[in-house]
Amino acid sequence: MTISPDDDFAAAEYALGTLDPSERAELAARRLREPELDEAIRAWEARLAPLSEAAQEIEPPRDLLPAIEARIRAGLPNPTQSAIVALERRIKRWRAAAIAASIVACALAIGLVAREANRRSTPREYVAILQKDAASPAFEVTVNLDKQELTVRPVAARAPPGKSFELWIIDAKLGAPRSLGVIGGTSRAASLSAYDPAVVETATYAVTVEPPGGSPDGKPSGPPVFVGKLIPVEPD
Amino acid sequence: MRIAGKASGERAPAGAGEDLRDLLRRIAARDAAAFATLSEQTSAKLFGFVVRILRSGDVAADALQETYVRIWEKAGEFDPVKGSPLAWMATIARNRALDEVRRIRPGSLEDQPEGFEPAADEIDPLAARERSERFAALLNCLQRLDEERRAVLLLAYYRGLSREALAKRFGRPVPTIKTWLHRSLAQLRDCLTS
Repeated sequence: MTISPDDDFAAAEYALGTLDPSERAELAARRLREPELDEAIRAWEARLAPLSEAAQEIEPPRDLLPAIEARIRAGLPNPTQSAIVALERRIKRWRAAAIAASIVACALAIGLVAREANRRSTPREYVAILQKDAASPAFEVTVNLDKQELTVRPVAARAPPGKSFELWIIDAKLGAPRSLGVIGGTSRAASLSAYDPAVVETATYAVTVEPPGGSPDGKPSGPPVFVGKLIPVEPD
Repeated sequence: MRIAGKASGERAPAGAGEDLRDLLRRIAARDAAAFATLSEQTSAKLFGFVVRILRSGDVAADALQETYVRIWEKAGEFDPVKGSPLAWMATIARNRALDEVRRIRPGSLEDQPEGFEPAADEIDPLAARERSERFAALLNCLQRLDEERRAVLLLAYYRGLSREALAKRFGRPVPTIKTWLHRSLAQLRDCLTS
């Protein structure tokens, strides 16, 4: 194992669950771009997992299993997640303003709407176009709230030679910007499971130029070069 | 919500490792009937797991739904060499519950306990009668820890207690708890590799 003792402790505490929320979110982001850290977390999970044998059984509510089964069979999202429904409603309210703010975002979103209509199985997606100005879209960020997953796709931007682009989620509730990982030449996914839907809603998504492989200290090295906010993609 | 406890081992199928392995294989091939059987056999175990961490039946029910969706999606990634099917599923359930309880948000779930007092029904893994080889090895290593430090680890594992909550419970400052955790975990790792 080549990771530092500090990182191995962080991996152990991640698996045990004792990291505080911001540390947990940071590690969840780092494991996506650091395979050795990811491996260390899995190793710790495996070490502790036998403890699950001693867990006592508690019957879940009677309607839960049919609900889960129906959800699997339909390939549909969980309709009882009131937080997400509320978020969807709030996003719809400021959606018009967001679209008006950017003709490019609007055009691309319409493209996505058409694509969504053909592929009805992934209904709850949101999109943000990260750009410098209305004429230069650089990255397309899509968020699937059901999977709590974000996908970022480079549209036009190329990182300067010897540099990497890094994606950040920025929100007052988070304090400092949180890394969602380095962006390469192709689209890649990042987990949002560490973030409250309310934070995902209000957050700004931004890209900075970083040394190769990403920011060395987990903080943006400079100001964002591309920024954007989420708008919903309507399935119909 | 009324939640009835049930002793481990009352349902034979939950521990039947080979059956669960077979079910996971079929689920990886998108067999919805296998999924129904698997969730029936394991839901009480996994619910017991997440409800002890989340302490709210409703939040736990949501977390359990998410857990099974992940099991459905990731069944193909299950590797029998790395552990039992139940351990694999419990890890998914636990991570889901921990993501929920450690979300970045103002206030925390820990401030609003609902129904589940940590002292109410402590889990004592040392009293478990049926043990897999891996579990026996882990218990053996846990027994070498000082009693208080073992309790810290077990409360973190089964109850999802944060460092702050552990500090309060054991009447020690947070940095002390952190040091305990690191020493205990290192000791555990070394013991398991020896």
